Amino acid sequence: MEPLYIEPSEFTPRVFFDPGNAVFEISGFSRPENTVDFYKPLLRWLDEYEENVLNKNTDYSKSNMVLNLKMTYFNSATSKYLLDLLMKFMKFHSKGNTVEINWFYDEDDDEILESGEEISEMVNFPFNYIPITPTP
Amino acid sequence: MKNSEVLISHNGPLSYEEIGFLLNKMTTILEGYNFSITIKKKVYAAMVESLENVYKHQDTIPEDAEHFPKFSLSLDDKYIYLSVSNSLLKDKIPMLEDRLIRVNQLDKTGLKEFYKQIILNGNVSQKGGAGLGIINIAKVTENKFDYSFTEIDGQHAYFTLGIRVAHYAE
Repeated sequence: MEPLYIEPSEFTPRVFFDPGNAVFEISGFSRPENTVDFYKPLLRWLDEYEENVLNKNTDYSKSNMVLNLKMTYFNSATSKYLLDLLMKFMKFHSKGNTVEINWFYDEDDDEILESGEEISEMVNFPFNYIPITPTP
Repeated sequence: MKNSEVLISHNGPLSYEEIGFLLNKMTTILEGYNFSITIKKKVYAAMVESLENVYKHQDTIPEDAEHFPKFSLSLDDKYIYLSVSNSLLKDKIPMLEDRLIRVNQLDKTGLKEFYKQIILNGNVSQKGGAGLGIINIAKVTENKFDYSFTEIDGQHAYFTLGIRVAHYAE
């Protein structure tokens, strides 16, 4: 299965879903003009990944999946979609795959850290919180 | 809002690009003040959610310049104030006012619970709104809203939302 790569823009994040290494990353800023149009393809890609890779389990062994979320800002409409994406990973986890979720945050940014803690609570799954020291 | 200084004032139709322009302007202006990253992010979040609400939910009245969207950002020695106004159909008022009343009654824990309830059960509308904007603003700013609805005509009202972000240690 081909990776999914979306270049970042001023208002949308960088996306890189790498099925070969089972590493999935969303990073940057998210305030798309049309949230549905931006995030629906990501959810569809994960459905296809489940069907073509996880369910067949032929190309790859039981996956050790890593989701890296490195958000600098996201609006409330985005948070709904981040939750939907995480729900997919919870489903993959319930099917026996190992899932690790890394939530990166600027060490001075309490808002992003708190958002991560809230989302982790909502999906009832522990995140690793990784502070990033801003470059001077 | 005594002796407040107006930092940004906008009056006119609000496009997605215009919101980006206003956000960049705010970021540049606040760089000149010694606010923490947390305060800047609170203002940023409140501004995005309130302006996106106008963009998504406004019901404009063509050629009625008096009731075009308005936005202002101002500052005094305690707070950063955001005031956002737009025209809307009067039949949207009951649902919006219910939400504002409820949000103004809730404390931080209550807002978190309400947010959780809406995000887990609400659908994202075709316009991309998840009904979370107002709750999110209250959650990040930790202050009560001032708001008003003023009648324009039989169908429309002018909605103004006032938001405060404290920039001193409360």
